[in-house]
Amino acid sequence: MATDVRTLTLTRPAPRGILRSLLLTLPIFIWSLLMMGFRPGAKFDPVSSIAAIITALFMTVLFFMMMRTNSTYRWRRIFFVSLGILFPIGFIHNLYVMRGSMGIPIEEMIAGRTPFCFMPIPMLILPAAFTRTVIFPGSIGSASHGIAVMVGLWLALTLVMGKGWCSYACFFGGIEEGVAAIPPRARIRKLDPRWRYVPWAVLLAMVLLSLALFEPVYCMWLCPFKAVSEYVAARNTVGLVQNVIFVLLFAGLVIMLPFLTKKRTQCSWFCPFGAFQSIFNKISIFEMRIDKERCKPCLLCQNACPNLSLSKESIARGETLLSCMKCGACVDACLRQAVVWHIKGTQIAWKPERARLMFLYAAWAMAIMFGGSIIAGGLATILHFVV
Amino acid sequence: MKLRAILGYTAAAATLLVALLTPFFLYGFFSKGVAALPLHVDEVYSGGPKVRTIPMGTYSIDVHRPVYPHFLQSEKPFVQLDWQPVSALPQHISDVVDIDGDGQPGVRVSFDVPRDPKAPLHVDVDSLNPRYESMQHAGKEKYSRLIVRVDDAILVRVPLARQ
Amino acid sequence: MCHPSLPPVRMAREYPYMAAFASYGEALALGLASGPACIAACGPVLIPSLLTERTGFRPHARYLSVFLAARLVGYMLFAVVAWELGALASMLPAPRLLMMGVVYLLLACVLLWYAYSARRSCAQPCSDSKLIQIGENKNRGVAGAAALGLLTGLNLCPPFVVAGIRAAQLGSMAAALVFFLVFFLGTSIWFVPFVGLGCIVRNQAIITVARMAMVLIALYYLSMGIAMLLGKKTYGY
Repeated sequence: MATDVRTLTLTRPAPRGILRSLLLTLPIFIWSLLMMGFRPGAKFDPVSSIAAIITALFMTVLFFMMMRTNSTYRWRRIFFVSLGILFPIGFIHNLYVMRGSMGIPIEEMIAGRTPFCFMPIPMLILPAAFTRTVIFPGSIGSASHGIAVMVGLWLALTLVMGKGWCSYACFFGGIEEGVAAIPPRARIRKLDPRWRYVPWAVLLAMVLLSLALFEPVYCMWLCPFKAVSEYVAARNTVGLVQNVIFVLLFAGLVIMLPFLTKKRTQCSWFCPFGAFQSIFNKISIFEMRIDKERCKPCLLCQNACPNLSLSKESIARGETLLSCMKCGACVDACLRQAVVWHIKGTQIAWKPERARLMFLYAAWAMAIMFGGSIIAGGLATILHFVV
Repeated sequence: MKLRAILGYTAAAATLLVALLTPFFLYGFFSKGVAALPLHVDEVYSGGPKVRTIPMGTYSIDVHRPVYPHFLQSEKPFVQLDWQPVSALPQHISDVVDIDGDGQPGVRVSFDVPRDPKAPLHVDVDSLNPRYESMQHAGKEKYSRLIVRVDDAILVRVPLARQ
Repeated sequence: MCHPSLPPVRMAREYPYMAAFASYGEALALGLASGPACIAACGPVLIPSLLTERTGFRPHARYLSVFLAARLVGYMLFAVVAWELGALASMLPAPRLLMMGVVYLLLACVLLWYAYSARRSCAQPCSDSKLIQIGENKNRGVAGAAALGLLTGLNLCPPFVVAGIRAAQLGSMAAALVFFLVFFLGTSIWFVPFVGLGCIVRNQAIITVARMAMVLIALYYLSMGIAMLLGKKTYGY
């Protein structure tokens, strides 16, 4: 149904007062300082300190703008894109310092020094349940890139955010979100909604094949983000084919398609970890809901959603799909304030700002703790070259 | 309805509390919890636990427990032998190793120890027991047949022959 | 009276009933122990195809029966042919790799065809009680479950190879076939819980996901089959 947005009464919330915004931001500022290491007795080196200060201020300013403008998406996106850019800078630099290349040699895999990222978590569950074996060439213990550390972190962040992980923690998603933001409008607008099922199919296939073959099949064959982190150095034809596949997937799903569609196509059309995280949206207390009385289905929210998590049917039901990443794009796009942040069990659209604040405090605190430290690390890497 | 709202806000507040506790307590609690689970890294990667050490004068050979693949894993069963420390190894190694510990020779392993730690390694393994496979000029082809240098040890993996 | 150190063939000749009891007990134990490996090996084929069947324990029980029966036929077929060729005892790596390559290619083709045929699968209980048939003509098509079961039966997974080598040590083809049958029964017990997938309510989303997963798995089997036929190392890290 075509809607002329010029005739709609704009009901975007008025900006919040500066003093009130500052007061609401103060806890985040203190938290940022704590998380960036500014506490009594902490040791500093100049470059890391400058990077930490910049990061703390950066996260604080973004949160202030979220409070001041009563919008979430574009400020969160600035953080998320920064995370997507600075993570590879810091990580790849560390790889070159440690071993001189992005390729993982077999020696490192045997020594259990392969850094563990969160992507293989769904594939590890069944083999661990059947045989108590972790099918990843890392170390389980408490080293900074150890499996236990990343799984512990993932558990804590998922308890807080559910699939908000994909908007506030994933250090890969910012790349395509940044690419999607570049063009002024989408070249491909008609998107078949069945593509939304592919991440679930990839998850199912990868979990089953990983159990059968006893290795993390997604990491070996399909992960496009090996292009900005690390990959197994190819020593035969099959290894070469695997590396060609990830380069093509990165170029297609992370660069080309987001540019053409202005959507997070890798996240919404492929990522099995995203599908896995969607399950945790069932237990997450925060969600987006639609006030059906205020909604006149103009589909602005559906068009704004970067993850295709709104359909006509779901809008009619007053809810988002299970894949909702809680990025806030739909809330910010809605001119009637019909799409709102919501705490399960409470009345929809009754004091939605309260729900938004509670979620943002929790999610932003996690973002500073996890993403902030990665941003600071990337900044420190750049400063080491510049200074 | 009111009860549901109270429960909802309570859960939201609890979530906020979890977020605040994460860096100070929860993250470490979860990590230690996962580390305490009876899990181990797949022995195809780690080589399996060490079972014996054979002293060879200035260096020693660690013999690991044989590793068998799971399910459809495309690796052969193998046994890993570690020569360490590398600094004490002669320029050329040619050792007969009793892998089983039954007093009978298992394999003869021969390889050169280059001075450059990044130089490629190659190994010849002559099987003296039908349980083990021979290898000629093997490098690091597969997890189940290789020679690599890891830290201060040279690891050789000898595939087990089909029974 | 009983000499455990006797070779199995001589044991079979001198103490036939005891030998039979011992070897079939061994077959059952081997089958039960191999169950997880069989589930892991058959899972990528079985679970997505089960998910395309409609909701209910009966359709799933029917599917599993057809699948397992066809798998048994695959076992027996392989055992008979290999015994006749004298290859059962050795199961040399090269012909085994070739056979696995061919089976993987066939599995890939059947999975793709199955995924295509399942596009008309009815999510809700409906009057059509047939399992998903491969091919356009439902009356002449082959049940997908049978085709997939047969091919997984021919897939030489490690427990199957172990059973084959052991069966070859018995005195006769009939004994080897019975050994395989008992081994099969031992592994099949592990498949019974899959009937529980019938309680998952099917909708178009689940069927679509299952079909897409079949396509992905088929692509994987296709690449592995081609690699095996070309003699390439599948993994060389």
